[in-house]
Amino acid sequence: MKKVFILFIGCVLCLGALGAGAAMAEENPTICAVHCFTGRFAFAGIHGAAGMKDAIDMKNEEGGINGKKIVYHWEDGEYKNDVGIAAFKRMYAKHEPHMMYGQSTGMTKALAPEIKDRYKVLYSSYSFAEMAANPEDNPYLFIAGPTYADMFGVLLKYIAEKDPGANIAFFYSDTEFGREPIPAGRKMCKEMGLNLVAEEIAKVGGVDVTTQVLDMKRKKAEYCIFQGFVTTPITTVMKQAKDYGLDCQFMGTFWSTEKHLLDQLGPLADEYMGVTAYSFYYQDENPMIKKIRAWNQKHHSDKADYRSQAYMQNFMAGLLFIRALENADELGGFTPENLVKGFQSIKDYDVGGLTPPVTIENNSIPVGRVVRGNSKTGQFDPVSDWIRLK
Amino acid sequence: MRCGDFKETYIKDEEIFQSLFVKFWLCLFFVFLIVFPFLANQYMLYIANMIGFAVIGAIGLNLLTGFTGQISLGHAAFIGIGGYTSAILVTRLGISFWLSIPVAGLMAAAAGMVIGIPSLRVKGLYLCIATLAAQFIFEFVFVHWESVTNGITGINVPPPAIAGFEFKTEKSFYWITLIFSILAVIYAKNLVRSRMGRAFMAIRDRDLSAEIIGINLFRYKLSAFAISSFYAGVAGALWISYLKVITPEHFPLLLSVEYLAMIIVGGLGSILGAIFGGIFMTLVPELLNFLSGIVKAFMPGQEAILEPLKNVIFGMLIILFLIFEPRGLAEIWNRVKNFFRLWPFSY
Repeated sequence: MKKVFILFIGCVLCLGALGAGAAMAEENPTICAVHCFTGRFAFAGIHGAAGMKDAIDMKNEEGGINGKKIVYHWEDGEYKNDVGIAAFKRMYAKHEPHMMYGQSTGMTKALAPEIKDRYKVLYSSYSFAEMAANPEDNPYLFIAGPTYADMFGVLLKYIAEKDPGANIAFFYSDTEFGREPIPAGRKMCKEMGLNLVAEEIAKVGGVDVTTQVLDMKRKKAEYCIFQGFVTTPITTVMKQAKDYGLDCQFMGTFWSTEKHLLDQLGPLADEYMGVTAYSFYYQDENPMIKKIRAWNQKHHSDKADYRSQAYMQNFMAGLLFIRALENADELGGFTPENLVKGFQSIKDYDVGGLTPPVTIENNSIPVGRVVRGNSKTGQFDPVSDWIRLK
Repeated sequence: MRCGDFKETYIKDEEIFQSLFVKFWLCLFFVFLIVFPFLANQYMLYIANMIGFAVIGAIGLNLLTGFTGQISLGHAAFIGIGGYTSAILVTRLGISFWLSIPVAGLMAAAAGMVIGIPSLRVKGLYLCIATLAAQFIFEFVFVHWESVTNGITGINVPPPAIAGFEFKTEKSFYWITLIFSILAVIYAKNLVRSRMGRAFMAIRDRDLSAEIIGINLFRYKLSAFAISSFYAGVAGALWISYLKVITPEHFPLLLSVEYLAMIIVGGLGSILGAIFGGIFMTLVPELLNFLSGIVKAFMPGQEAILEPLKNVIFGMLIILFLIFEPRGLAEIWNRVKNFFRLWPFSY
């Protein structure tokens, strides 16, 4: 029965441990983040966590915000809403941060009302969903890039200029991630004089896409924009389109404009285009990319070969958090109001070519660039300049 | 010397609180539950609320699976029906949250009865597949019946209120969760002692024999589905009112599997088991998070190994519990209780 005692004492200690670390408002500017380090979005979360940490560490190495070092804490949210929200609340209770970063649209949506009324922290996340680009309803929420609808806008604008009146197909997943920008996309097609001839829906990871490919062929789609997928079924659709003789230009938004998709596409990579919000790791003609590469070489030499776009997104979010802190500090302190003002007042902020100089509009950065895959280099080459919407 | 716990009448044997010892500890536990929100921080209260919802849902599933022997993989769908019913009633029809809770339960119960119809002809794995189909059907409905559910975007739900006071913090919502959890436990505990509860168990042990001794299988199997789904519906309504948002992504198949894991780890056919299961499945991942945070501090840069390890350990813990105590945490608790009941003269 000693075991029973040990078990009992163990349980008591663990419960005590959970309660340990009562709320401590840290004097230094504090950022807390929930990254999906495990789960099905871990491919982005692992790089993303590193991106944000590097941006903050760089700033701290340069002296922090007027000598105040930025404190950064993060936890794994497993790409599950419950786990992510629990991590948010746990970190908030423990550190009372000034800014927080979330792992998904679902988590943002669930927390948005409380962030507005209760937590009042400047908040961004991996998601590019429209709801975070609405300062009237959600003043504390922002997107460190364009919304998904903006990305559709960039692609459609590119198509409209190159091929007026073209036949467009939307191919999206049956998820919030997939459906979110579709109504805006429909509207933009009309405004730009493009013919939206087909809307195809498939499951994430689905492999049976023959019906959708044949439907696009019947409707003579000339451009197909994917949304809500990372790799599968994009590769299958493109391979089947080739088999069935569908002559169509395939394109994707941010999360499907990544190196691993090109690797999977192989020779078909040349036929794939996408929209990106940030310069790629290999575009080291940009001073910020050069700086990031040097930092990675020095601090994470094992990972210095390549850093994904998720890294860049989080690095950018880190830069914006830092800029907002600097502006808030000038306004008199890191209060929620000052942080929002400090963030929204960002104008022509030079980020060293990671994106064009940043000007915040509707708590987002409605800028993107169209790129094309290159099967020889396994990289995306820019085919347009940065396109700014609105 | 009188040592141990003796019962001299059947009434005594059927009592819920069987000894002074039990009554004392239960009172102490209630005092703890009442004092807890005044001592805990937001995070601990958040977890306490989540445990409450899990317990209500798990008790419901245990009544169906643990007591009646009808396996269900559609529990998440019933939670979803309850959640959507409450959200729609509150936001579209302006009905009070308090009224929406029983209606949410009844809607889920009605759906549960329909889904339970195949249980009259099929059982075991076949019933499992039938309920799995229900899960997919309702998930589809949540996503595609956009005029009602608002599709993938979901519905924002206001916090419950009484006379102008809004239950929008973890602390205030804790009282709602606590009251509903206690009601759920009391009803279930009494139900399993009643004629209906005994009928459930008879069906579980051998449905043919149950029918021979006069148990109406049609009535009791559907009742089990209805009561189980009612619990799920109430849990769903509470959960979404707490989260203040509902989307179809809250109710995936995995949630049904998690509820099954809860009652298996906690103890099938035991109300206490469902409570333990709910606590275990909610609290242990949080404890592992806490511990991994400590380890991370000592091993910087090793997150890529440490974070996934947390899930591996959680899985291992479930397997170990099942190997060493297949009857679940409730049985371990019984052993601990028996030890103290005879202490210090255990032999």
